Amino acid sequence: MNSSSAEGKRRQRFDSLVTVFHQDMYRFAAWLSRDKAIAEDVVQEALLRAWKSLDSLRDDAAAKHWLLTIVRRENARYFERRRLETVDIDNLTASQAALLAETPNEEIDDLREAIFELDDDYREPLVLQVLMGYSTSEIAEMMGLKQGAVLTRLHRARHKLMDSVAEE
Amino acid sequence: MTSEQDKKLEALDLKIAKALQIDVPELRMPELPNIDETNVRSFPARKRFKKPVWFAVAATVVLATSISLRNSSLFQSYDSLAEEVLAHLDHEPGSLRITDVAVSDRQFARAVPASLVTFERGTSLITYAQSCVINGNDVPHLVIQGQYGPVTILLMPEERVSESTPLDGVSVKGVILPVGKGSIAIIGDREELLEPIQKNVVNSVAWTT
Repeated sequence: MNSSSAEGKRRQRFDSLVTVFHQDMYRFAAWLSRDKAIAEDVVQEALLRAWKSLDSLRDDAAAKHWLLTIVRRENARYFERRRLETVDIDNLTASQAALLAETPNEEIDDLREAIFELDDDYREPLVLQVLMGYSTSEIAEMMGLKQGAVLTRLHRARHKLMDSVAEE
Repeated sequence: MTSEQDKKLEALDLKIAKALQIDVPELRMPELPNIDETNVRSFPARKRFKKPVWFAVAATVVLATSISLRNSSLFQSYDSLAEEVLAHLDHEPGSLRITDVAVSDRQFARAVPASLVTFERGTSLITYAQSCVINGNDVPHLVIQGQYGPVTILLMPEERVSESTPLDGVSVKGVILPVGKGSIAIIGDREELLEPIQKNVVNSVAWTT
């Protein structure tokens, strides 16, 4: 196989994976960073990293996990570089507020705000389970935690959300 | 948990899922660089002291007349095990290919003799396996494919270290870990998350010497 057709196949493989998983990558980045502009930056960086190391992905069936792991690391790197201040819900930037854009459903809006206000430690496993469909053992592996710790965080996250919504 | 609680939680999860489904902007693909498939990562060159010509001649004569002196520390030019490990990688840049082709069982067995060490291959993709010499001792040299490229593993049953020694380079990082009576060096790209690899490798190794 000559190098240009190999490059073409590589690009084709990459494009098809990104087409399928771009939405998951973006939503995961957005809920990790709580900022739509940062999420776009993180996804851009993650796509570059994924492209460069595509050959290390042996099985496309594992692509979602692989891509989300890259997003997670890029997000951590982003915040390492910038050391942003804690988000103040009453004083959001435009791109943070954009994440809480209103929907026709007030209950969903309240819940979205409550999720936004969850600590990172609670929000991340919740997003991975409810939005990405991962099991607690898979989340434990991704986050480098014991499964018991994941279960505890998920339990607390749900109870915090229930309390927040009940207060509204 | 009662079924009523179950239903409550299910309903909550449905709402959470809806809340998390934010709008996604159109995909903006970054400019992707060309990837050279024959790309070989090389480690930064190490500084070495310059030897005068007479030293090279003398060394050649000594080497030719007495191979048995090979294990002697008399001609050791490395200040530390860490230095020798990094130098060894400089000598074998071909090991650092990005590939998805695993070494054969036969090659693996040859590089990792059961008389020295047992190593559970597990699910790691081992793309290079050679028996090398570090400090005069046979050392299995393996390469697995990590998230950000090749990761080198040197299994050194004869090299005892008292504590973990970090290895640091311009484009690479790693560590020499004390493991039983020997040690294991693990080196990868600076971006690579080495901790899980270290854990897996340490759990997969048993010295048999």
